Amino acid sequence: MKKPDFSKLKDLDVKKAAKDFVYGKPHGERRLGDLYIPKTGLYKHREWRGIKDTMYYFNNIWLYNYGMIVRDLMVYGGGPKGVVQFLKGTWRYRWMGQTYLTVMHWFDRCLEGMRGETLAASAWHFRGIVSACLYQITGFFNRDLNIGGDPALRAKTIGTDETVWGGIIYPYMDQGGYYLPTQMIPYFVTCHCNNHTVLNYIDAAQAYGLPGDPCPMCQAEAGIFIEDDVPDSYVAVVTTNEACDGSVGTSVIQDWMMNKPLFAMPQVMQFDDDTVLENCAKEIEMAWRFIEEQTGLEFHWDELVKHIKLQNEQNRFEREKWDVAANTSNYPINGVAQALYRIFYSQYGERPFWHDVDKRVRKIMEKCVNEDINTFPKTRHRVIAWSCAPLYYSAWCTWAYNCWGLNTIINMDSLMFDLEIRTDTYENCLLDIAKYHEWAPMRRMAVGGLQHIFELWENMEKFNCDMVMMYDQLQCKGMQGVVGLFEDEFRARNIHAIWMPHALPDKRTVPRSQIRQIINDYMFTVMGEEPLDPSLLEFDDIDSW
Amino acid sequence: MKAMKIVKKTLGIAGLAYAGLFCVFYFDLDGKLLYYVVEPFMKNHFDNMKRRDPHTVPYEQIEHEYMK
Amino acid sequence: MRDLKHLIYFEDLLQEANNDLVRKGKEDGNLCLGYTCYFMPEVLLDLPGCFSVRLRAPRCTSPDMATYYMSGRTCHYGRSLLERALEGGYNFIDAQLATETCTVTCRFQEHLDYMDGVINNATFKTSFTDVPFKKNDNSIDHYRKQLKIKVLDFLHDEFGVDTSDEAILKAIEINNEVNDIITEIGNYRKLDRPTITGYEFSVITLVSMVCPKYLIVDKLRETLEELKTREPDDKPNYKIKVLLAGSENDDPDFIKLIEGCGALVVADRYCYGSLEARNHINIEPGDDPLTAVAKHYLLTSQCARFMEQREMRHRKKVIADYAKEYQADGIIVESNKFCEYWSYERMIDTIILPRDYGYPVCSIEKEYINTASGQLRTRFQAFVESVELKKIQEGK
Repeated sequence: MKKPDFSKLKDLDVKKAAKDFVYGKPHGERRLGDLYIPKTGLYKHREWRGIKDTMYYFNNIWLYNYGMIVRDLMVYGGGPKGVVQFLKGTWRYRWMGQTYLTVMHWFDRCLEGMRGETLAASAWHFRGIVSACLYQITGFFNRDLNIGGDPALRAKTIGTDETVWGGIIYPYMDQGGYYLPTQMIPYFVTCHCNNHTVLNYIDAAQAYGLPGDPCPMCQAEAGIFIEDDVPDSYVAVVTTNEACDGSVGTSVIQDWMMNKPLFAMPQVMQFDDDTVLENCAKEIEMAWRFIEEQTGLEFHWDELVKHIKLQNEQNRFEREKWDVAANTSNYPINGVAQALYRIFYSQYGERPFWHDVDKRVRKIMEKCVNEDINTFPKTRHRVIAWSCAPLYYSAWCTWAYNCWGLNTIINMDSLMFDLEIRTDTYENCLLDIAKYHEWAPMRRMAVGGLQHIFELWENMEKFNCDMVMMYDQLQCKGMQGVVGLFEDEFRARNIHAIWMPHALPDKRTVPRSQIRQIINDYMFTVMGEEPLDPSLLEFDDIDSW
Repeated sequence: MKAMKIVKKTLGIAGLAYAGLFCVFYFDLDGKLLYYVVEPFMKNHFDNMKRRDPHTVPYEQIEHEYMK
Repeated sequence: MRDLKHLIYFEDLLQEANNDLVRKGKEDGNLCLGYTCYFMPEVLLDLPGCFSVRLRAPRCTSPDMATYYMSGRTCHYGRSLLERALEGGYNFIDAQLATETCTVTCRFQEHLDYMDGVINNATFKTSFTDVPFKKNDNSIDHYRKQLKIKVLDFLHDEFGVDTSDEAILKAIEINNEVNDIITEIGNYRKLDRPTITGYEFSVITLVSMVCPKYLIVDKLRETLEELKTREPDDKPNYKIKVLLAGSENDDPDFIKLIEGCGALVVADRYCYGSLEARNHINIEPGDDPLTAVAKHYLLTSQCARFMEQREMRHRKKVIADYAKEYQADGIIVESNKFCEYWSYERMIDTIILPRDYGYPVCSIEKEYINTASGQLRTRFQAFVESVELKKIQEGK
């Protein structure tokens, strides 16, 4: 047995060690990379952040969230029966049984190195996301005929493509109308939480004859249906074309595999033109009629208005957050929390748990502003992330801050839904809802007309960013179709932009280590900078979640 | 006196449980359990699960009121 | 079979986008209007004083400059068009009537709009039309409105083109004449022993899309007359008859490659094919000409981007029905590499057409230019052999 080496103890600075124990090591001395067990992404031990922040993480994040998961299951699931359904679903569906149990490690990856208010505010965002996931998971399982779910609940439930905005169900919520985006939980969130699962779905689609080159997100979304891994929890389906050709193609497969009444609610691609809104509005009205026909629910205007008003409230707070992010150094939310929370609530629609999170975050943010707390004190560059992000490495911004001081202030997806929906008249409301649909993920700025992609420049200025993390989704035809124009513009505008290649959910195409290497190379060779934490430059996390 | 004992005992157990949980947290024992035991077990279960053959799903015209 | 009199002339016209007849059309003082997709009704670009050219990039095998702009991971067709544009190969077009009907061709057209001087033509302008994904009344209204604003008003306001109902009727008349001729020529493929090859028909169809119609119609008419007396070979030089379905294909040599393997292509249900692009445009009572055009192009299209459940499912039957009508023994489904619509559609067709309709299917992925593909040749030969064997077993 190897003898312990006590020689280092001689050089130990006791005072410094005590200070580090109490307050945590300062950024630059942490060596977070040393905590990893090679390949797995597991920790030899979790990070010691000083007494206060470690205990906050343990009590208010780790213990609290494990506890709240059980609480959510009971509340959203409707008591012990919900727990039974949850266990049955966990055993039946790979995306549940193999994926979501690892949820606290998603927190770990995204919150590494965070301290104080930043740690708290970012963690609250994740709490909101997890609550929303459980709301949907219990929603799926309680209605799922495959595992003995309740047919009466299913009869009032509409499945949708995940890019159909959840507001489609607002007019029916007081009657038990329920909306289940068919891919959001079985596919989209899994990639962030545990990217092992999604590979099965991509492989299933390709084994069935799909070529390897279409967008892997759409492949996976087809794969979950081919693999028979989707609950039978809804009576009919509303699908859409957002945001690309691949999404249309996926709908064809899904329609076949679901074999249920399906209403297509495609949205126009060239949305700038006001003449197209009327078309979208009519399609939305037709979708409502379809829902009513399939579920027997009635359209309640007051219910629609109630939820839209609450959603507008959320959007107003988002703008306040952006204002703080753009103009101060007091913004307490890290890049990944900002991005995932925003896209999730904007897409899924207004629900009570979001307001609870917003209330808590507002308090923290106000404290930061009032006390002028520098929330990311080691910021060297303010980064805007543009185009579609790697789902299997959404935590890259946490790594980039810890390693290089690259602070991701805002990203493209967050900016898409910036619309206050009018509720003064039915007509105005409908037109705004149509516009909201048109501005959906990857639509407004990625494929909805070239000019919107270049809104990057004005947003760089608005958010005071000096660097661009340019996501390079290798299989997104829309974005690949403009890479040269971006190169030209970056050169002409003398902008530091790092191209980050990836394949959305599929880590096999560009591993996370390669993404880090690309950023490292740029920072060393082009920026001429040295890392804040050299232990994070290279580490092997190939098999991690 | 007895009540005090029970309280003390309860506090002691709670304290031990808390300390135990902290160890689980700090040494990432939950992660290790999930990574090395739970996930491989579940993966094996799902890999061997009998699934519907997609070729058997019919593909005919569905006629509904909404299509008219 | 006897050689077709104008075939070599037609082949020559396909060697470059700016061919002799396009130049002649311009010399006659006409506006030359480019487009790429069936959803841009060519009839509206053939209004008096204009002629349409469906863009192609013949012989473009290595789109290097376009690959810088659009990466190597987008459809070769879209990139080839951009390459040709960057080379100056489309300087003759006066306007591009664009559609966002598939991502990469849309991006190509956006480059024309965005990059200064890529089309070296002082009058050049681009107009984008939004095309719906459905075929309901709402979609027809929307499409009509778009065509009015983005095509007719654009041509009228920017170029002073006469876009009156009378002018549209005249354009429909000219188009219908060409449509009817091509359809009639195509009907010779339905014979037990067809008197036209798939290659010849593909060349004829393509010239009708890339030349001013008033300059090509006489030769098309002559070809039709010629076919009326053309006799099939005593011994057919093909083993099976196939329907070719799939994504964009404007390369007649691809058809030649298939036919060289023993499969006569008797039906063409792909982008740039004649089915349904050469259907007669009918004007229903009560419809104005523009409404008739909108209905025609929306309702006849069997594009893989339509999303209504009925349409998604029905179009497989349409292919099977064509196969029956044209007496095809099998179906080849192709998709261009990186074409997302047809990647999915091909996958489903490959399963549903044999399973539900009993047709053997050869499913292949191709590039824009494929002449030298030994791999494809092997696939086609194997398919022909398997279908031939099946026919023998069935005693046909």
